[in-house]
Parts: sequence; C-alpha cells; structure tokens
Amino acid sequence: METDALALSLTYQFGTNAAFLFLAALGLIVILGMMNIINLAHGELMMMGAYVATITHNQLGLPFPLAVIVSFFAVAFFGAILELLIVRRFYGRELGALVVTWGISLILGQGTLLVFGPFMEAIKIPGGSYSYGGFSYSEYWLILIAISIALIAGLYWLYRYTNYGLQARATMQNAEMAKALGVPTNHVYTLTFSLGAGLAGLSGALLAPTSTIAPFMGQQFVAPAFITVVVGGAANVISGAVGSSVLLSAIKTPIGMAYGAFLGTVALLVASLIIIRIMPDGISAAIQKLMDRRRTRNTK
Amino acid sequence: MTSKILHLIGGNADIGTSKTFWIGFVIAVILFALYPTQVSEFRASNASYYLLNIPLALGMALLWGYCGVLSFGHVAYFGIAGYTYGIIAGNMAGNSLGSIAGVLGGLLASAVVAGIFAYFVFYSRVREWIIPILTLVLTLLLETFLGQTAGYQWRVGSVLLGGYNGMTGIPSFQIGSFVFMGNSFYYFCMVIVLACYVGLRMLLNSKFGQVVTAIREDPLRTEVFGYDIRARQWLVFVLSALLAAISGLLYVQWGNYITPSQVGLLSAALPVIWAAVGGRTSLLAVLIATIVLNWVTFTLSSQGNQYAMVIIGTALVITMVFFPRGIVIMIAEWIGKLTNRKNTTVIR
Repeated sequence: METDALALSLTYQFGTNAAFLFLAALGLIVILGMMNIINLAHGELMMMGAYVATITHNQLGLPFPLAVIVSFFAVAFFGAILELLIVRRFYGRELGALVVTWGISLILGQGTLLVFGPFMEAIKIPGGSYSYGGFSYSEYWLILIAISIALIAGLYWLYRYTNYGLQARATMQNAEMAKALGVPTNHVYTLTFSLGAGLAGLSGALLAPTSTIAPFMGQQFVAPAFITVVVGGAANVISGAVGSSVLLSAIKTPIGMAYGAFLGTVALLVASLIIIRIMPDGISAAIQKLMDRRRTRNTK
Repeated sequence: MTSKILHLIGGNADIGTSKTFWIGFVIAVILFALYPTQVSEFRASNASYYLLNIPLALGMALLWGYCGVLSFGHVAYFGIAGYTYGIIAGNMAGNSLGSIAGVLGGLLASAVVAGIFAYFVFYSRVREWIIPILTLVLTLLLETFLGQTAGYQWRVGSVLLGGYNGMTGIPSFQIGSFVFMGNSFYYFCMVIVLACYVGLRMLLNSKFGQVVTAIREDPLRTEVFGYDIRARQWLVFVLSALLAAISGLLYVQWGNYITPSQVGLLSAALPVIWAAVGGRTSLLAVLIATIVLNWVTFTLSSQGNQYAMVIIGTALVITMVFFPRGIVIMIAEWIGKLTNRKNTTVIR
C-alpha cells in the first residue's frame, strides 16, 4: 500500500514535470526546428499569453478555456508582426537573431511592468484535487498532462497531414529546393514563427493558474524551456520536444523529490551538459539516426 | 624587441592604426587621468564604476567579436569572482594580505567554473546557438541559488551570503596598509583598463589572435589547416571569463557589496548590449560604448526614469537591425573616410 502510493505519486510528479517542460519548450522548438533560430523573447511571449488570459478571464469574465484560446491567437498575431518587422532580417544570422530577440524580451518585460504594474490578480486554479495514500493530486495538472498529449497528437496531424505541414517539412529539409519547387518559404516562415509564438502564449495561459502573474514571470520558464530545447535538438520537432521532456523529467523528478526543486533544476543543467557531450545535436537527431540505420538494415 | 612590441600593439586587429589616432589616444588617457582633479569625489567614483565594467565588455568583444562565440552568461563569472572575494577577504579582515588572497581566489574560482563549462560545450562541438543558451541558464541558476541563501545557515566563516539582500561590508582592495578608495581607486581602475586593452590588442595581433579570428571566419577551414580549434576556443572562453572576473572583483571593491541581481537576466543583458552597440569586432569601439552606455543608464536611472531598460532594449534592437556592425565602428569608418586617409582598418 505504502509503496503503491509512493509509486503513484512519483508517476504523477513525473507526468507533471514532463508536461511542464513540454509546454514551456514547445513554441521554442517549433521555431528552432524551422528557422534554426532561438527566440529569446520566448519567456516574455509566455508572459503575454498569461496576461491575455488573466485579463480576459478575470476582467472580461470569459470562461477560462476560451481565454486560453484567445491567448493563443493574440500572441500568434503578435508573433506574426514580430516576424514581419524584425526577425525576418536575421535568417542565416543565428547569433544576431538571438541578440535581437533578447532586446525584444527586455522591452516586453519592462514595458509590461510600466503598463500593468508589478502584480496582477492571479487566476484561481481550476478544478479540485484528489488525495490517495497521503499524497494529493491536482485535477488541473492531470488536465494539463492530457492537454500536452493532445497537443502532441495535434502537432503530428499538422505536420503530417496538412498542406502547411508538408511545406514546412520541405522547407526544414532544404529551403532552397523547396523555394525552387514553388513553396512560398517566406510565408511558411511567418506562419511557423506565428505558430511558435501562439504555442508559447497558449502554454503561458495554461500555466498561468499555477504561477504568480508578474511582468518577469517569463524568466522562470526560461531555464527549463531552453534546457529542454538544447537536449531535444531541432532535427524533428515532435520527437525532440517529447523525447527530451520525458528524459529530463525522469532525471528531475526523483532528484527534485529527494533534494528540493532547486537541485532538481541544477540536475537538469548537469544532465543537459552530459547529454550534449554524448549527443551534440540532441535527442531528436539521435532518434533520427537510429531510425535511418534501422531502415537501411531492413532494405538490405 | 621594442619595435616588435610596438608592432604588436599597433597592429590592425583593432580600429586606429595611424599616428593621429595614437596622439588622440594619449590625449584621451591624459584627460581621463586629469578628470578626478576637476570634479567632485562623487563623480569620480561614478566614473570608476563606468571604468570597472570595461574588462567585462572587452571579454565579450574578445569572445563574441573576435572568436565568434556568444555568451549570455559572463556575468556569472563576474558574480563568482565577486562573491569569492567577499568570502575570502571578509574572513581575513584585518589581515593586509586578505584582499590579495581574495583577488587570487576570485580569479581561480571563475577560471575553474569557466574551464569545466567550456570543456563540455567546446569539446562536444555543439552548435553555435547552444552556447549562449547554456551560459544564460548557468547564470540564472546561479542567481536562483544565491537568492535563497538568506539566513544564518548560509555562512562561510564569518561572512553571510545574504540571499536577495546580497553580501555587504566587503573590504576594499589594499596593498600593505594602503587602501584603494575614491580617487586612488579611480586610478587603479584606469591602470587595469589600460593594461587589459593594450594586452588584448597585443594578444589579438599575435599569431594566436590571428588564428582566433580565423576560427570566427571559418572554423572548418581553420581546423583543416591543422589548428586545434577546440583548445583555442576553450582558452579564449576562460580568458574572457577571467576578464569578467576582474570586473566583478573591481565591482565589489568599489561598492563593498554584491547582490544576486548582478548575475540576473537584466545584468546579463548589459555586456552583450555594450558589445553589440559599440561594434563587437573592435575592442576600442566596445570600450567607448561601455563608458557612454553606462553613463546614459546611470543618468537616466538616477533621475528616476523607469524607461531605462526599455530605452537600452530599443537601442539594442535598432542597432541589430540597422547597424549590425555597431554604431561606434560606423562612426569611426565615417571619420576615416572623411579625413580621406586609411586611418581606420575596415574590419567585418
């Protein structure tokens, strides 16, 4: 009974950690995989999502699920503008893109502080909680785990079965060739950046009830999100995001449970340094290589 | 021998190679040396603050501008050196050797952390964008760690780490019984900044420096020529971390305190901004931009202007979009064209 409860609680912790890492990193990895640039304003885009959700939910009285959807579209729209005005000029200059998105993040963070002040009324965490064997389980986190799985399925569908997905994968593999074959690559870039920003906004809105709403709240997502992306790599968006959030959660959960949240995050950094020492291009590239090898073996 | 050294200093690794330039340089140094005699001690002390940030900025120029490796987390080495100095010198308070031991300890601690970190990233041959991300994560973790060190259980010897309020009462630098404060500290900073600038210029004009620049231009080609690029990148990273550590040491000796926000996200942004706005491929341009931007930030925030960070962020975005090579470099080239002589070496 005791061990049952502990095992269940560990599984739950593992699930919530993986869902958190996945949600925090998703938008980032979508943009990275396509354009090979890291959006350092990612944390601020999540913060924007949280603010949009808070304002529409608390002040305009929209139901929370609807507020989350509004955040997705609002931040996606903002992302499209950002891409058209600024990010577009930095393709092929990866470090320049990093620096300019950092500048944007400074403006967004400080700007939010000036407009909305240092605090905002938090969203009440929806749903109740269960308890079993001395451990408690939040309904909302269980929903977030389910949403993460639904997002994986949705992204798989988007990349596998839609016209945009086909064009996006073609552009990822070889942008020049795709362009020569008539894929409007500029359009694909704008859409992808917008999708990545929208997903950041969505994650920000979803995680808003679990956090305090403040202008610099984005910073708490920065470290876990970037570690997840570094470990995941950019060869394949879905296998990168899923693979690395699951692996990192498997490292963080036991250490975090035994030694506290801070050392859990330190373990994440140490693990990521060791993992990139073994797999410099991340888990997604390693999986890709493994699958390629198996495929060639089968054809022989 | 002397001509060789002069050639190393005056070589074209940085803007300004003509005789006119060097006359101007000497005049500028003299003006800086005269500055404290003309203004109040308070303003000289502010000027020391602008100067003490320069080694950190020069380290960014060396790493990013000349070697092509971007770090968002060099303030981590700034902070490690500052805190280590505080712990060692604080525990040896009263002993005149305490601050020298603190300086050595701070430099060593930063070099060790940077060395281990750089081993993992450079010897894995990770992609370009991974290094800035991991350096940023490292400095954020350091901030989180230092932020939760409030209370008496976080005490090293007789020194409290102090959590978010930071470490206070850090001793000033002293040699023998002479304590560097006020104007003497200003001159101390000036000598160190000059030594860093001239030393780096010599390094970058040497063969080692040329290989480092070649790594920035084309890592693969440099490697095929038979140079071990990983070892050189590692060395440059550690060297730039040591420069950041020098700034950190001067900072705690100047203000006698340090807080975790010194290694936070906003502080981490500053060196990158100085290097980008000035023009990262020139030591002198970065040096000038560091002084000017520090002066602007200080003036704005001392007037209670809350827009300082927005203005600095906007300056960064505008520079990156419209003057990707840096504003000071563009002005220098413009002056060079105006005087219609090859005063300035055009560098990318």
